[in-house]
Amino acid sequence: MNDVVTFYNVTKTYKDQKAVNEVSFSIQSGEIVAILGPNGAGKSTTIMLMLGLLEPSLGLVQLFTHSPKEKLVRERIGAMLQEVSVIDRLKVKEILELFRSYYSNPLSLSELIKLSGMSTELLNQRAEKLSGGQKRMLNFALSLAGNPDLLFFDEPTVGMDIKARANFWNTIRILKDKGKTIIFTTHYLQEADDVAERILLLHDGKLVADGHPSEIKKKITKQSVSFLASTDLTLDQFRSLPHVEDVYLEEGRIYLITNDTDTVLFSLIKSNSSAEISEIQIKQGRLDEVFEQLTLSKEAQ
Amino acid sequence: MYAMWMQTKAETLKVLRNPYYVFWSLAMPILFYFLFTKIINTGVDDKQQWHKHYLMSMTIFSIMGSSIMTLGIRLVQERTEGWSRFMRITPLSEYSYFIAKMMAQTVIHILSIMVIFAAGIIINGVSLSFQEWLLSGLWILAGSLPFLALGTLIGTMKRVDTASGISNILYMALAIMGGMWMPIEILPRTMQAIAKWLPSYNLGNGAWEIISGRYPEWFNVLILSGYFFLFVILSKYVRKKQEAI
Repeated sequence: MNDVVTFYNVTKTYKDQKAVNEVSFSIQSGEIVAILGPNGAGKSTTIMLMLGLLEPSLGLVQLFTHSPKEKLVRERIGAMLQEVSVIDRLKVKEILELFRSYYSNPLSLSELIKLSGMSTELLNQRAEKLSGGQKRMLNFALSLAGNPDLLFFDEPTVGMDIKARANFWNTIRILKDKGKTIIFTTHYLQEADDVAERILLLHDGKLVADGHPSEIKKKITKQSVSFLASTDLTLDQFRSLPHVEDVYLEEGRIYLITNDTDTVLFSLIKSNSSAEISEIQIKQGRLDEVFEQLTLSKEAQ
Repeated sequence: MYAMWMQTKAETLKVLRNPYYVFWSLAMPILFYFLFTKIINTGVDDKQQWHKHYLMSMTIFSIMGSSIMTLGIRLVQERTEGWSRFMRITPLSEYSYFIAKMMAQTVIHILSIMVIFAAGIIINGVSLSFQEWLLSGLWILAGSLPFLALGTLIGTMKRVDTASGISNILYMALAIMGGMWMPIEILPRTMQAIAKWLPSYNLGNGAWEIISGRYPEWFNVLILSGYFFLFVILSKYVRKKQEAI
C-alpha cells in the first residue's frame, strides 16, 4: 500500500514526559482525518512530527514513504500552523508570489485567492495591516500555494469568524473532492464530527481511538431510546429486548441503552401499543460527550 | 534559482521598507556628515581631506548599522514569530534562504554606499578619482562581511528586546571606539591601542588609506578576516546547540 502518512511506533519524549507515546497509524491518499483530544493530548506534537519539525525519540515517521525533510516531500505538502504571524513589510500579493516561486507546480494567484476566500482588494495591502481573520486567510492561502497533495491544519479555525469558518470548511470539501489528503486538529468537536471521515483520538499522548466518527461514538458513548411509559410496565420487561444493554428510570422517563437504536425501536413498537408508551426519543451519543468523558477521566486522575 | 531570486527581491524590499534601516543607515549618517563637515567647526587644517575622511567614516557607520542591527534583530523576529520554522516545511532550503538574505544585504549595502557617497558630493563637493571611488566602495562592501556575521550571531538570541539592546550597544561602541565619529587620535592612548584591534577601526583605516592614495594595510585585511571567521564559527556553534534541544 502507498501510505501518504506512516506513523510507526512513534514516541516523543520531552525531558521525562512522553508527549506522544507509542502511537501508530497510517493515512491513505484522499482521507480527511481529524486529530482530536483534550489540551496537552499531543495533537500539535503529532503534527510537528509529521512535518519533520520535531524528531521522534523512537519510531518512524514518513510522508509519501520518505523522510518529511526531503525536498520532494516538501513540494507536496502544505500547512497552516499555530502561532505563525505573517511576514511583515510585504504586500499580500508579494508574499503569495514569493511562496508560489518555491514550488515547481504552484496554484495560480487567482485560484489561491478564490480558495482562501480573500478579496482581491487585500492584494495590495501590507500583510501586517490585515485583521486577525484576514491573516488566517493569508496563511491558508500560503498553505495551498504549492498545490499540495497533503495538507496539515493545526487548529485552523481559531480566530476565524463564522463566515470565514464556513468558507474554510467549504474549501476543505473542494480540496477533498480534488483528491487531497487532509489532516487537521481542532477543539471544535462539531467540526471534527461534521468534516472528518476518520478521527484519531489522542489522550495523554496515546492513541485511544481510531475510526469513523460514528464508530468512535459507538465505541465510547452509548445511544439510548427513551420514552414515557404507563405505570403498569416494569423495567425488567424491557431488559429482555434484544440489543438492550441497560435500562433505567430518570425523571419519569425510561431509558434503554443500546448500540442499535433501530432494532430496539422496532421491537418496542411491535410489543407495545401507543397507549402504553409515548414521546419516544432517540439520543445519539455526540462526540462532544465522548470528548467530555475523556477530559473528565483525565481530570479525575 | 527563480525562488532564490524572488526571495532576494522580497528580502531587499523588506529592508527598504524598514524604518530602522532608513533612519540608522541613511538618515543618521548623512545628518552626522552634514553636522561635522558643515555646521560644527572641527578645526581641521586640511578641510578637503577631512571631508573625504569623514565620508568614509559615515559610510562605514551606515553599513555597520544595517549589518548588526537590521539583520540581527530581523533574524530574531523571524524565529520568535515562527517564520523560520514555517520556512522549513517549504521546498526552499535553509541554505538558499540564508544566501538570499545575504544577497539582499549586499544589494542594500551597495545602495547605501551610493547614496552616502552621493551625499558627500552634493554636500561638500568631495572629489575622488574614479579608481578611489570604486576601490573604497568595494573595500567597504567586502569589509561588511564580519559585521554581517556579527549580525547573524546576534540573530541567534532568544528575545527581540535583548537583541536590539545588545546590538545597539555593540554598534555604538564599535563606531565610537573605531573612530567613525571622530578620529581615534582624539581618544585616550589606551582606547587607541584597543581600537587598533577592532573590526570597525580596521575597516575604516583601509578606506582612509584608499582616499589618501594608498592601499589598505595587510593588517586590516587580517583582522577583518579574523573577526569574520570568529563570528561565523560562533554563530554556527550557537545554532547547532539550539537545534539540539
